[in-house]
Amino acid sequence: MSREAVAGSDGRGDCVVRVSAAKSLKITVRCGNPPLLEPGIRAVAERTAEAAGVSGAAIEIADSGALDFVLSARVEAALREAVDGATAIGVAPQRKPSRRDRLRRSRLYSPGNNPRLLLGIEMHGADCLLFDLEDAVPPAEKAAARVLVKHLLATVTMDAEAWVRINPLDAGGGEDLVEVIPARPHGVCLPKAEDGDDVRAVAERIAALEDEAGLEAGLVWILPIVETARGTLHAEEIAAADPRVVSLAFGAEDYLRDTGARRSWEALLWPRAQLLAAARSAGVQASDTVYSNVDDDDGLRSETCAVRDLGFDGKGAIHPRQVPILHDAFAPSEEEVDRARRIVAAAEEAEAQGIGAVTVDGRMVDRPVVDRARRTLALADGTEGGGSR
Amino acid sequence: MKNAVGREIPEVVGGRTLRPFEGAFATRASGRKAARAQKGIGRDEEKLLPSLDAALEATGLADGMTISFHHCFRDGDALVNQVVDACARKGLRDLRLFATALFPVHKPLLEHIESGVIGRIEGSMNGPVGAFVSQGGMLRDPAVLRSHGGRWRAVEAGDVHIDVAFIAAPQADAYGNANGIHGKTPCGPITFASVDAQYADQTVVVTNDLAPYPAHPFEIQQGWTDYVVEVDEIGDPGNIASGTLQITRSPTRLRIARLAADVVVASPYFVDGFSFQGGAGGVSLATVAYLGEEMERAGIVSSFAIGGGTRFLIDLLHRGRVRTILEGQAFDIEAIRSLREDDGHVTIDPGHYANYDSRGSSTYRLDAAFLGATEVDLEFNANVNTHSDGLLLHGIGGHQDVAAGASMTIITVPALRGRLPVIVDRVTTVTTPGEVIDVIVTDRGIAVNPAREELRDRLVAAGLPVRELEEIKKEAEALTQPAGVPVFGDEIIAVIEWRDGTVIDVVRKVEGWA
Repeated sequence: MSREAVAGSDGRGDCVVRVSAAKSLKITVRCGNPPLLEPGIRAVAERTAEAAGVSGAAIEIADSGALDFVLSARVEAALREAVDGATAIGVAPQRKPSRRDRLRRSRLYSPGNNPRLLLGIEMHGADCLLFDLEDAVPPAEKAAARVLVKHLLATVTMDAEAWVRINPLDAGGGEDLVEVIPARPHGVCLPKAEDGDDVRAVAERIAALEDEAGLEAGLVWILPIVETARGTLHAEEIAAADPRVVSLAFGAEDYLRDTGARRSWEALLWPRAQLLAAARSAGVQASDTVYSNVDDDDGLRSETCAVRDLGFDGKGAIHPRQVPILHDAFAPSEEEVDRARRIVAAAEEAEAQGIGAVTVDGRMVDRPVVDRARRTLALADGTEGGGSR
Repeated sequence: MKNAVGREIPEVVGGRTLRPFEGAFATRASGRKAARAQKGIGRDEEKLLPSLDAALEATGLADGMTISFHHCFRDGDALVNQVVDACARKGLRDLRLFATALFPVHKPLLEHIESGVIGRIEGSMNGPVGAFVSQGGMLRDPAVLRSHGGRWRAVEAGDVHIDVAFIAAPQADAYGNANGIHGKTPCGPITFASVDAQYADQTVVVTNDLAPYPAHPFEIQQGWTDYVVEVDEIGDPGNIASGTLQITRSPTRLRIARLAADVVVASPYFVDGFSFQGGAGGVSLATVAYLGEEMERAGIVSSFAIGGGTRFLIDLLHRGRVRTILEGQAFDIEAIRSLREDDGHVTIDPGHYANYDSRGSSTYRLDAAFLGATEVDLEFNANVNTHSDGLLLHGIGGHQDVAAGASMTIITVPALRGRLPVIVDRVTTVTTPGEVIDVIVTDRGIAVNPAREELRDRLVAAGLPVRELEEIKKEAEALTQPAGVPVFGDEIIAVIEWRDGTVIDVVRKVEGWA
């Protein structure tokens, strides 16, 4: 049975695609500047229908400036909902895997179903981009959103690490994975992680999908978000649940709701410290919650400095303008960089000479100090080369 | 023949011999200015007339003559339509309309073009009138587009002789002194029309607020004015902003603005006393706001800024970050209020800031300027007149004057507008030549004119994302199917003058698209 389906919106950079049953392929296009743009839009729709194995459908497109990958995603989503036998379009992964210990000072959230906000999001210098299929996407748009994010991952080149925040496995997360894993994001962000089993369940699904898509195993990372009382108590096992976990993230909003606490530095200090210790004991990074007042630069700066001092490696951002502030706050001071350089140089020299003990500025330097110095230098390099502005 | 930017320019168009563009500063004026006839009046003579129809009678406006207007009510203007309606009632034909700019509000003119009341247009055409003309809209001769300074020059030089100037005046006295900053519906300075008022054979001031003598400041002066008419309505100042006066919320555009401000900060010009031009587009407003923050941080005071004045620029004046604002046209109510109240906010006219054939222009004293474009090309040429569909949809404004004048001209454009790449191989129309454009800032990186290697090095050293223009172009093109292109006929529908009166490009009729 076939029915009518609609995907997309009339927002800028998007299009509304309406599909209903038909014997042959019928495409109608409404767009600005039709003589210039209509042929291209039609070509994308035809190509997409063919790739989805559809030869009969009436496709109506009302365009508001959608790029090719957005058009493809909207057409695919509507076809799959309306036409029996329409298949998911296969995509090839186009990005190199990332290192598990790379810099992750900022993870910039972007709603997964809003092309206007997705487009160019890679230009803001964030270390990690997080395409959100969970809270930022209303239930009715979940299917279209995961198709859009798939096409984005398969099309747009970016220097940043590309992450997808899926829904919990019992709320559509499995379908999210099926859709996006073949496009191989750098990682999957798992909200509301409550224990090690939650993480392992996602890891197993990812492994199966990697295998199915013929991808090298184990290259998609997991970032569990700890944002409940139960999750906080199990932070240690969450962090250690699977080698794919590279970082733990804290989610304050849900934590407050879950515990009934009121927002204050004190109320959130214990879960933050607990999460940090859990992350460190498993040898992974720790990333703080988002700062939700976009207009309060000073508040963001001081909170970021405070979590940096707790040991956090990064923080979430909900607007591009927050990114440079995060990078500034996580950047080590000149004195710190200078001292780190001397420590690393001394350690390397000692190693070359086969000497065990190292002293810098008259103080003994042991292995953790050297490691921290290396991290400081990496952070400093990130600031220099990362285009934080 | 081909001009200096490689455009094919015919020798004669509409009976006029064209001089091809030779370079941004290649020509020098000679000869004398084309002044109006001498006239004196007796001490008892009055100028007040009861209606526009009476003014048409009194001036003896006849078929084929030239009437002029200023555009400072922009899309809220109510005078052009009233006067042309009156001309139609009087049975006049083949008039030449010489407004500084026309807007969508002037769409009723299409009827008067079709009926032959208007035979020729010289001046900017924003929107429907331009689209109509582009598709062969029945004008006897091609339209002529000039920059702010270029129009002033053309009037002084006698390239355009105005028979009657109609000047919308938010406040005027019955003796012909007028201004745009007082009255019931202030639109900001009306000094754009001061060259019309001085060079037209006859000048008619039209006001909706007749004030006791003397109405001042004297943006338009009694010694230039032949008649004064009071009418109910001259324009709606609610539309002077044309909806542009919001700082953009688009992350892409904010990024462009941020990068543009960063370019200034990294440039050699960002020192105490530097000067800039800030426009009224969403990106320009954000750039000015960012620049203000950077001046604050660096403890720098700007010696002057050229408007369009907006509340963002006024804010910098009030905070002591800008010492003087030179104002040719106000873009919001705050700017108009400031003109009445602030010492450092000075009204100027296009002759002061932009005239090529003059002994000095404020734009030549500018360090940095931010301008937009509909398209830019790999030679750094900018198009602000036509869209990629070939239709003539915008005027030049001060684009050429500011770009030619500023030491560092920055064009801010998104790499893509919807599905259309903004960086192209060859712009549809050259408005401003690449030789006066130094930097193109897009959301996908910054390109520096190869002639400005030292500037490029500074931006690279500051860690800014400097890239080749071609690389940014390819990246944008990879995201969309190639768009169709306009098919142009032979017929020329508009001539684009460079600010010295030479022709930098012509616009041909759009026959279709392929």
